[in-house]
Amino acid sequence: MTRRQHIANTLAAILVIAGTAWLCGMIFGELGKQSNWAKAWDYRESLWRGWLHTLGIAFAALVGSMVFGLLFLFGQRSPLPVVRCCCRAFLEFVRDTPLLVHLLFGYFVIFAPLLSRPLAEAGFEDKIVIGIVLLALFEGAYLGEILRGGVESIPRTQWDSARAVGFTPFQIYRYVIFPQALRRVLPAIAGLFVSLIKDSSLLNVIGVSEYFYNTKNFISRSYAGLEGYIPLALGYLVLTLPVAWLSHWLEKRFRHET
Amino acid sequence: MKLEIERATKLYGRTRALDGLNLKIDSTRVLALIGPSGGGKSTFLRLLGGLEIADSGKIEVNGHQLENDPTALQAYRRRNGFLFQQFNLFPHLDARSNITLPLEKVHGHDAAKARAKADHVLDRFGLLEHASKKPSQLSGGQQQRVGIARAIAASPEILFLDEPTSALDPEMTAEVLELIQELADAGQDIILSTHEMGFARAVANQVAFVAAGKIAECAPPAILFSNPSSPICERFLSRVMRY
Repeated sequence: MTRRQHIANTLAAILVIAGTAWLCGMIFGELGKQSNWAKAWDYRESLWRGWLHTLGIAFAALVGSMVFGLLFLFGQRSPLPVVRCCCRAFLEFVRDTPLLVHLLFGYFVIFAPLLSRPLAEAGFEDKIVIGIVLLALFEGAYLGEILRGGVESIPRTQWDSARAVGFTPFQIYRYVIFPQALRRVLPAIAGLFVSLIKDSSLLNVIGVSEYFYNTKNFISRSYAGLEGYIPLALGYLVLTLPVAWLSHWLEKRFRHET
Repeated sequence: MKLEIERATKLYGRTRALDGLNLKIDSTRVLALIGPSGGGKSTFLRLLGGLEIADSGKIEVNGHQLENDPTALQAYRRRNGFLFQQFNLFPHLDARSNITLPLEKVHGHDAAKARAKADHVLDRFGLLEHASKKPSQLSGGQQQRVGIARAIAASPEILFLDEPTSALDPEMTAEVLELIQELADAGQDIILSTHEMGFARAVANQVAFVAAGKIAECAPPAILFSNPSSPICERFLSRVMRY
């Protein structure tokens, strides 16, 4: 940096800090008087339970989305035109409609009438199970597209070489294509998983008692403000930041490797 | 090796890459395919190597008829080696792993035996010091030599080389050609396509001239290069030999 840029940089830093401080001062000055952190403490059990639910839902949906993503990948690469077309149509539908609509439609119209009773009888909480499936389907559709992009970006000679050394189709994917393709799409996948964690908050519309749902209840019952929203934001950050860091770390590692 | 090809045809969309190609060779060690680009050399080699299947016609290599049977073709590919112009190696694996992976997963060797075999062949080609390097850290010539090492490691019946030096500069071309010559001298059956006429002349027992999806003529190099019988081959040779 030149001398001028140093000065400009320092000025920018001062401006940002001053601006943030002023904004925080205004907000806390207005709301801080009414904030009562004891209220949040009273609801700690419900909030903690909601956070654990969110963690569990996100993890299960993550695993589920990988299964669906792989299915969609191979479905789209199927030699059978009908399978290919169905996959395409389904992916197009999923990607071009809001998740909120899938959740409401999928839960109230499709899955709840079919599965609620059997699931309840088997001792499951139907909303959570169906919510996980719907979320996994939605994110799986995106993951399928990401994986397809990665697989199709591997040059033809790699397929030829893998075939020439005598690999089976499964071995070609396992040893040659996936190791290269995953490296290329890792940042996109990490981004998707971060979205998945955040999107799990939408499950509140079908009444799943996850972190957002429980926090919302707490806020509306106790008229809480800052003491409700700040833990809400932090709770999600605790889940998403490690994923983001992990992906940056993996990205760096793979970049050095190749 | 023994080759028997009758009226082989291969279409890519509407392009006739091979157009009723015939070739019968009872016994030869090294066969070189020469001819203009786009004449069908690579396609012919891909069919012979079992990477693709002809749309019609008969292809028989060493008494094996190549048909549209994925399992049989895969078994056939396992017995042979194939090298392309470039990007043969798997870029995420080092040179040694590029050789050991097929030995372990395809030929069922245990890790120690695969490694010993890989190191032996790398050593033979003077590449042992580069064994732990990734393909991107190797020169083009070294990459091709590792590619040949991988193809040769499982003792293939036939080694197919598709323009192995086309993407290399003259110095690297020489190092790869020397290696191929050495293999040929050691008795390896080889079918290669090439634009290196001098090399084809020196190393091949038979040279086939491929143009417009057909074999225009096939003869020992001494005859084909000095006294081509087909006008199309004569024209080609007079043009490429001028400089």
